[in-house]
Amino acid sequence: MRFSLLIFLVGLLMVLLQSTFLHLFPVVPDLVLILCVYWGLHQPTVGAVLGSFALGYSLDVVSSPILGLNAFAMSVVFLTVYLSSRSIWIYSPFASTLVVLLAALVKGAALVVAWAIFLTTEGFWTGAVRYIIMEALVAAVIAPLVFALLRRGQSYLENVRRPAQ
Amino acid sequence: MFVFLRKYQVPVSSCFCVFLSIYILTAAARGYLKSDPVGPTLLWVLRPLQVMSQTATGWIKGIQESYLTLEGYKVENERLRQKLIELEKERNRLMESEATNRRLQKLLEFRSQVPVGGITASIIAASASPWFKSCLLDKGSADGIRTGMAVVTPLGALGRVIELAPRTAKVLLIIDPNSGVDVVVQRTRARGIVSGSLENGPIMKYVKHSEDVQVGDRLVTSGLDGVYPRGMMVATVTTVRKQTVGLFQQIGVMPAVTLERTEHVLVVSAQQAQERK
Repeated sequence: MRFSLLIFLVGLLMVLLQSTFLHLFPVVPDLVLILCVYWGLHQPTVGAVLGSFALGYSLDVVSSPILGLNAFAMSVVFLTVYLSSRSIWIYSPFASTLVVLLAALVKGAALVVAWAIFLTTEGFWTGAVRYIIMEALVAAVIAPLVFALLRRGQSYLENVRRPAQ
Repeated sequence: MFVFLRKYQVPVSSCFCVFLSIYILTAAARGYLKSDPVGPTLLWVLRPLQVMSQTATGWIKGIQESYLTLEGYKVENERLRQKLIELEKERNRLMESEATNRRLQKLLEFRSQVPVGGITASIIAASASPWFKSCLLDKGSADGIRTGMAVVTPLGALGRVIELAPRTAKVLLIIDPNSGVDVVVQRTRARGIVSGSLENGPIMKYVKHSEDVQVGDRLVTSGLDGVYPRGMMVATVTTVRKQTVGLFQQIGVMPAVTLERTEHVLVVSAQQAQERK
């Protein structure tokens, strides 16, 4: 649970970066999505479930015109990744790229469904497809780097904890 | 039952979070969610970090623009380049101060033209997701800002306040697909709604085929939506298509105010403008 809390704080930092620094780039990468995928694959705990929900909610607080949109999308992403993680071995950059790409498509589909039900859909569909593909490609490209950083952080924490025990 | 929950705690808690988020979404969409218990606290925590980050981002942008035209790597060029960098830094610092001074002076002059009660604010963060067009201001309910107030600049309307925390306000930009600004064509007084679109950028909707709208026409607020003061610049018409089917023309517009070039804004209430008149 403590590790999940630490990762959640890292997630909040990612929300901060997505709303400020990363706007220097032409496309803002979805770091929070990559984090939720990592959680679903490597840290499938109740703390990770709550963390994914909370990070989605944080994105709603900072950006969305309606609460619950990203919270729903990130929860669906986590659940999907968790259920399919039983049959996936993710120990190569290519595999992590592919999983994040598919998770981004799941997130896009969840957002489209929620948007269609609760918000206006005028002039929406073509743009939505473009955004989904763009987000998915960017997230997939940087996923191996983010995964490597998270794995390094996780093993460092485990090493710090082990001598204390 | 307890054994089942313990064994499948992750998928069960995950499903619970999905249903909880659907519940929050439904309540928010229907307007039942009057106050957000968590959002203001989160904004209060993030605000100082966003202010610092935005300052650093502006500094990085300035350096990027400084280095854009630099060429060559010879020794003499390198020495002269270093000298140039030092002088550019000093010049940019002075120019930035002058530009900020000019912007604030313009805002001050503009402020004298809008109703008493306008509140100046700075933009500290943009939307963290490309699906939404919003931004955060460094002033909130404690500074007198209320939900529904218009956010404007000397160049025109930027958006309206949709959520509040004591020291932060979330603004829905006019280019967001969920936004709508009641406008009139300045030349012909034809009415329509300017809204964002994920497809091709902002558009003007509900303009009948019989209305005269041309490329280059200026769109200003009608004041009838009760949000924006009347006569405020909103956008310029860029494309007009009259299709054979459908009741309305398809009109593309370019907004007068873009987030990328805006730092300081004024938050005003259309009601105060009407009372003053």
